[in-house]
Amino acid sequence: MGHRVPRVTQYLTEHFADEGFATLSGYRARGGYETARRVLRDQSPGDVIRMLKKAGLQGRGGAGFDAGTKWSFMPEPHHGPNYLVCNADESEPGSFKDRLLMTRGPHQLLEGILIPAFATGAAMTFLYVRGEYAEPARILRRAIDEATAEGMLGSNVLGTGFAHQVVLVRGAGAYICGEETGLLESLEGKKGQPRRKPPYPAECGAFGRPTTVNNVETFCHVPHIFERGVDWFRSMGTDQSPGTTLFGVSGHVERPGVYELPLGTRLDEIIFEHAGGVPGGRKLKAAIPGGVSMPLLPAGHLDVPMAGEFLRERGSSLGTGGVIVMDETTCMVRVGCVISEFFRDESCGQCTQCREGTGFVHKLFLRIERGAGTAADIDVLEDVAGKMEGATICAFADAAAWPVQGLLRHFRSEFIEHVHTGKCPLPDGFEL
Amino acid sequence: MVHIRVDGTAYEVREGLTLLQALDDLGVLMKGVDIPHYCWHPKLSIDGSCRMCQVEVEGMPKLQIACGTPVRDGMIIHTRSERALAAREGVMELLLVNHPLDCPICDQAGECKLQDYAFEYGQAHSRTREPRRALKKRVELGSTIILDQERCILCRRCVRFCREVSATNELAVTQRGDRSTIETFPGKPLENDYSMNVADLCPVGALTTRDFRFKTRVWSLEEVPGICTGCSRGCNVHVGVVDHEVRRYTPRRNDEVNGTWLCDQGRMTYREIGAPDRITEPAVRGNSGQLVGATLDRAIGRAVELIREAVQKEGPGVVAALASAHATNEDLAALRGLLRALGSETHAAPVLTGSSDALLVRPEKAANAEGARVAGFGEPGLLFDKIRGGGVRVLIVLGHDVIHEQFLGTPEPLAALDGVILLDTHRSRLEQVADVVIPGRHLAEKGGSVTNHAGLVQAVPAALEPTFEAIAEAQVLARFADALDVSLTDEPERKREVD
Repeated sequence: MGHRVPRVTQYLTEHFADEGFATLSGYRARGGYETARRVLRDQSPGDVIRMLKKAGLQGRGGAGFDAGTKWSFMPEPHHGPNYLVCNADESEPGSFKDRLLMTRGPHQLLEGILIPAFATGAAMTFLYVRGEYAEPARILRRAIDEATAEGMLGSNVLGTGFAHQVVLVRGAGAYICGEETGLLESLEGKKGQPRRKPPYPAECGAFGRPTTVNNVETFCHVPHIFERGVDWFRSMGTDQSPGTTLFGVSGHVERPGVYELPLGTRLDEIIFEHAGGVPGGRKLKAAIPGGVSMPLLPAGHLDVPMAGEFLRERGSSLGTGGVIVMDETTCMVRVGCVISEFFRDESCGQCTQCREGTGFVHKLFLRIERGAGTAADIDVLEDVAGKMEGATICAFADAAAWPVQGLLRHFRSEFIEHVHTGKCPLPDGFEL
Repeated sequence: MVHIRVDGTAYEVREGLTLLQALDDLGVLMKGVDIPHYCWHPKLSIDGSCRMCQVEVEGMPKLQIACGTPVRDGMIIHTRSERALAAREGVMELLLVNHPLDCPICDQAGECKLQDYAFEYGQAHSRTREPRRALKKRVELGSTIILDQERCILCRRCVRFCREVSATNELAVTQRGDRSTIETFPGKPLENDYSMNVADLCPVGALTTRDFRFKTRVWSLEEVPGICTGCSRGCNVHVGVVDHEVRRYTPRRNDEVNGTWLCDQGRMTYREIGAPDRITEPAVRGNSGQLVGATLDRAIGRAVELIREAVQKEGPGVVAALASAHATNEDLAALRGLLRALGSETHAAPVLTGSSDALLVRPEKAANAEGARVAGFGEPGLLFDKIRGGGVRVLIVLGHDVIHEQFLGTPEPLAALDGVILLDTHRSRLEQVADVVIPGRHLAEKGGSVTNHAGLVQAVPAALEPTFEAIAEAQVLARFADALDVSLTDEPERKREVD
């Protein structure tokens, strides 16, 4: 077991209380851009990728793919530019960590972009910001302007001769544009619909060029790893999941918010010690560990370290680290209604299982919640979710199916109760 | 080449193709190897969205879509494994969750992939009780195509066709998820020279042509291979026949000629077959100077009389022929043979020309323009001069292209001849100067071969019998030869070919 007692170091958010940290001068006063300067001046792209692989930084966008490995897929620029994309679409319900990173530490993100840009030979980074994120976009735009004016970006980055531009692009409010190839389509001005793979983005990404897409938080870790080293980074978190991450805690807790904690911090510790537990003396019923697409865990399973390898054993996953807490007043069928409505609304509509399955699942949840369901409907729900999983162009259908499976795995009795009594046992919370 | 194994059978396939492409390339897809598919089409880009073609590939944990999975050497594929069949059943159920199931009033019923695959891969019972998605049932996308949004399964073949083949980009999917619908952009209807292909591409009854809609149950259609007569491309078609009536042309795949497409103009030429202006009975100009209905024997007798008189009076050189580029190679050979037997070398074929495009449409507006040229029927200018100069006394005319503006413009120059013998399918002003009129048969009624612009000789059978009495032009000409006691087979060049 590689799970160490975490030493709390909040390197990503350390200076976020300082408003000046969002400005170039404030960032530089804390030593900002010096790591990028050193790396770009002294190291080769191959060195950078090797070091990041050693660090074992997992992508923080939801899939947890090893960032250094992803960068290593990029070919040398050939007959045209390579691109980097920063996925700042943060659209998974329950996730709001990237917003904090963008508003409080825009230059940390830009510095974090420069190092992989150099390592992957990217000429340009597209910073794709969720449409609803007006303030983060404004702050980032200002930061890009400042950095460009001061030579952190442009034709001679930090005096190293490396040329790099960051272009901010705003989305138009679609969940699916957080999926990397849906994002690329949207970036190109098309309807946000994920692409069939192969080819993968590293071969044919934005505008047909080799492209790597990483999440905002993933980039933000990079300067710290290069500043303080692989051993320091791996001293936090678990063997397989090193470093800290930002947990966004919401729902029935006393202190909802973003908490930077080492990976492997126990879920119950996050909920009770950091977020203050359930208000009003009510009992905790369940929690979603990483955004609504991850299967939820019931109260008895919350002693799990928050890292992919441990959550997988419990039939869930870390996702985006967006923890959603539900207390005893929560009807689990209603949770299904709400989540399935979201996925029904957001399915891009390309693949049959996802387009039709999300609507079918939603109707089944509604049918059961309204007391019109039968025991067979519960089986149909499970069956349809099973048919949606792993069978489509992108992971959206999986994301829509997993919460259904989680609900039925842990709260089937509640569904049966709805069916048997012909009504929801809890008072109406809101209009369905 | 790479070696793959599909359901136990080994195939050698071209590298760089996906599984469906490779099987199609070998000609075994749906002809031995059945992998059902909706969105994939051999002549369109890969979409990969319907998920119907999922198969099991050994060594890959998830099912793979056959349309988008590149073949690799040694790949072992199972198209009918339990998992693959279960996945297809799932796709079928979900495709039908919102489908209106209005097959009894749907034109596609009988040739519908949703019906076919539901029968083969689906389940018998519906597990939905909620109302189905209500959308627009009758959207006029343009002047030729009507969309039923409820029936659409969003395979996007039509969208890709307009993007990739017609390159006109009229169609798009708007909205998201299960609200998605096919739409045109505001103010830009579906209007292009190939618009009706989207109805052929549509695997369900969502896109129908205004022309065919609600007119025929497809199971009553007899579909016979045919050739479109609109231009010299010679596009391969299915001639859809009910009760001696052609109801439609649909493209018949021929990768050497038309791929899987047909232009709208050519497609609509089927209407010529059952047109009201068909010549339906023979006629002979009587003593009163009027054309009078006659038996075929009488008409042939009169034609032979005219020819014989002219030959006796002024020699064989005064008999000439204007062939049609619509005639079959067999008709042309008979005409050429008759003239040669008589001793005349005066013949030509007027070929109408018009607009063309880079996809299918050729400038020569007749199916056998090249065949006529190869058979020795050249441009008609010299023949016209000879007519004006009085060097022709009797003219055998196949078709009436000659009075088109591009040629004579009027039948007047032919009025001075001793005899005009017209073998034609459709009425025209040429009848004003004809002494004998004999009804001909359309290509779909007689079968035969035509030679396309690229020199490809294509033969088709007769698709239907005309509703009136008519024999093929070649047979009429053979009767002329019999009555004139000459032999059509006396053709030296042909003999050499056969030898």
